[in-house]
Formats: sequence, structure tokens, C-alpha cells
Amino acid sequence: MSAASTVWQRNPVLAWREITGSAVIISPAESVMHELNGTGSVVWRMLDGQTTVEQIAARLCTEFDVSEETALQDTSSLLEELAALKLILPAQAAGGAKGATAP
Amino acid sequence: MSLAAPMPGGCAKGPTPLMDGVVSRTVRRHLPFGVHFDLTYRCNERCVHCYLDHEDYGELTTAEILAVLEQLAEAGTLLLTFSGGEIFLRPDLFEILEEARRRHFDVSLKTNALLVTPQKAARLRELGVRRVQISIYSDDPAVHDAVTKVPGSLERTLAAIPLLQAEGLHVKIACPLMTENLASFPGVLALAERLGVSYIFDPTITPMIDGNAEPLAHRVSGTELLPVLQEPKLRGCRPESVDASALPVSVGSASSSGIERDAYDDLPCSAGQNTCYISPYGDVYPCVQLPVAAGNLRRERFADIWSGSAALERVRAVRQSQLPVCSACSIRKYCERCPGLALMEGGDLVGAYERACELAEVKARLDGVADAVSELHRRQRATQPPMPFAESAASAAAAR
Repeated sequence: MSAASTVWQRNPVLAWREITGSAVIISPAESVMHELNGTGSVVWRMLDGQTTVEQIAARLCTEFDVSEETALQDTSSLLEELAALKLILPAQAAGGAKGATAP
Repeated sequence: MSLAAPMPGGCAKGPTPLMDGVVSRTVRRHLPFGVHFDLTYRCNERCVHCYLDHEDYGELTTAEILAVLEQLAEAGTLLLTFSGGEIFLRPDLFEILEEARRRHFDVSLKTNALLVTPQKAARLRELGVRRVQISIYSDDPAVHDAVTKVPGSLERTLAAIPLLQAEGLHVKIACPLMTENLASFPGVLALAERLGVSYIFDPTITPMIDGNAEPLAHRVSGTELLPVLQEPKLRGCRPESVDASALPVSVGSASSSGIERDAYDDLPCSAGQNTCYISPYGDVYPCVQLPVAAGNLRRERFADIWSGSAALERVRAVRQSQLPVCSACSIRKYCERCPGLALMEGGDLVGAYERACELAEVKARLDGVADAVSELHRRQRATQPPMPFAESAASAAAAR
């Protein structure tokens, strides 16, 4: 299963907030904080379990001066990192914490 | 184009560059990053030093609390601590926690854990609560139960800790230090280490929230605190020896959000800068120890209070370097001056107060400072007329 072919969603156990344009994320189990920069935060916002990687990359192309190929490559790379850190889950597997679903 | 790899950092293991960066931004922008929300003042213990009266004068309803959570999320709050009173006395606690987690808050709890059951511990884990701080006054049941005035309370509280740990929750022991339990601190330290939990010892005993000074009778003096301050494991009590990689063991304020960092620079603390306190009645204060009413959430929205309160503006304007007495103090780096206690005990938000001076002098002496006298005491001595020789000799004889 590659990052590019999967629809992802934020891990519902996480605490997170956008603070001055950056997504600040806390994993309760490990008590570890992560932060994404502005561009990464745009991706984070779109990880709703419905938006495909291609759609995310297309959005980046419209918001930033970047080619479609680069956007897709960088998005896939970021998603792989986020998945390795268990900050995102494949949408179909994201049962998540009861009561901790997206509003 | 860089999407910037996520930067892992430890938010439970003391200050980190990442945490500092986030905190700095929230301070500069006055974003309410952390909120301490007391859900009730009712309690099933009657601790001798408590600053609350345990009555219910009309707590926020479930619907009101859920509405406040929505407003806090909109305002940018991430760190949310629910406390009391005893939070498990609220029958709607889990409904509140569900909503808090649905809105992606990082949730910590403060409790005496008397009402924790395996089922409740499991539910806390399911909801993604990160940390549970539990008050323990001694490893000796006689001492602990005498403080709480509830027979069997230590046994019940200790029984809850493995239940929470079994669910993977981070447990922290908070031990307020007072005359009744000062001798117990080595035992609590050993207990925490045996249980594998973090801990904090706190000699801060405050007046009651209505200004009643009765709890202050339980305070230990700076000299009596020496064994605690000299304990090598409590490195946090010595300003120069704080190790950024150290486990979160310290002597500090029980009301601390745990996010005090260099990011505050010339500010006295986080109160009103990027943190605040909400009472069970919806009153918003800069801090639980700084009861300056900024507004009430039954009448105003949180964002309006946070951005428009004159009381908060006054607190935010205070700078350490401009404090009329303390800025000139030669031992100020040993001082943990609290603006709230300055107001409650000294009557002046920007003033010096006796307790802070006393503890700073003790710490400075421990660190080998020869002339460990606070600026307040220096000025007091300078304005006292010299004692006539005959009177001085008589006093000395009387003292003998």
C-alpha cells in the first residue's frame, strides 16, 4: 500500500490545533509534539478521509508555485512520514478513539 | 518546494526547541494556548489546606460547558486541563471529555482518583486523555488521610494508579507540601519512583479564593523546606541546574500549566499571556492563583473576554524588568515570584511579597550567595531606625 494510492485521514486519537498557520499535533500515547510548516499544514487540513493524494497535490499547485509532479512527489513523501509516525491512518482503517472523531 | 518533515519533540520531557517555538508564538500573539478549567468546586475530600469552599453556587450546565469548549477551540486553545474540586463528581464528566476530544484538545485531568474504576480508566484511554495528575500527600495512610480528612483515602487513591497505568495513561503525582506532610516527601518520592510515575512537590499554599488566609497556617517556612530544596532529585527547584532533558520532576506550582519556558522572557509567567483559568461558574481569570475577574462566559463569549478585558490587559502589561522593587533585587534569579500571590498576599500585582523573598533567600544561601538578602528586605532594613544601644542590649538579654 503506497502513500500515493491511499486515502488518508488524521489519526483521531491525536490532539491538534492550527496555531499561527502551523498544525501543532500532540500524540497522547507518547506525549510527543509535532509541528508542520505552513505548506504541510495545508496538507494536514485536507486529510479528512475523503480527499485523495491527487486532489491534495492539485490544491498545492493552485496555492503554491510548484509543478504537479513536484507537488505529488512531496505530498506522498510527507504522507509516508506522517503514516510512519502514526499521525495518519488509511481512511478505511481509522476506527479511532470513540468520541474523538472529527467535528 | 518543501513540505517540511514533521519535527518530533518531547512535550512531556521538559523544554524543547519545538515547544519553545510554539509557546513563543502563542505568547507574542496572545493566543490562549492552555486553559485550566475547574468543572466543580465540590469535592469528596476536605483537605486542610484547600483554597476552595466546596459549595455549588450554580455551576455551568453541561450545555454551557460544551459551548465554552467550542469557543476555546475557535480561539486556538490546545492544552486543556480539567480540574476541581473533584471532577469525577460531575455526572457529565465523560460527556464533557468526549466533546473536548472531538474538538481535538490535548486533555489532562487533575483528580484525587477516589472514584476511578477500571471502566472509567478504560474510557479515559478510549477518549485519548493524555495525562492524569493525582494528589498524594504522603505514603503513610495516617498522614495522607489526616490531610484529606477521609479515612482510607490513600489506599483508594493508590489503587487507582495501576488502573490508569494499565490503560497507558500518563500518571503524575502532585504533592503539596505543608506542615502536616513535610516529613513525608522522601516517602512520596520513593513511592512515585516505585510506581514509575512523574511527580511534583509544591510548597505553594495559597489563601482561599475568597481571600481567607486560613490555609496559610499550614505553610512550611523556607528553613523547614531545606531538606526538600537540597534533594538532588528535585533539580527543578534550583534555577541554574535545570536540565532540559530531565524528566519532569520538580518543585513548582501545582497550577503550572507545565509550559513555562524561556519564551516568556521578561514576563512574570504565562497567566493572561497564553493561558487562563475558568471557574465552574464561568468566570475567566488570568490564572487560578490570580483571581482578577476578566469576564463571565454566561454573559460574554470567550474571544471577547480574552481580547477585550481590561483586567487581562493590565496583567499582560507587567514586565519583570519594571517591577518597582523586585527588578532591583540581586537574588531575583532564585525567586519564583507569582503575580497572583503578590496581589493576594501583598495587595499589589507588581509588588514584592514576603513569601517569595523568604524562599529566594533560602535558595540563594543554598547556592552559596554570601549576601542573600532580597531587595524588599534590604529596603525594609534601610528604613528601620537604628536600635538604641541600651534597648538593643536589653533585647539581647531577653532573648537569652
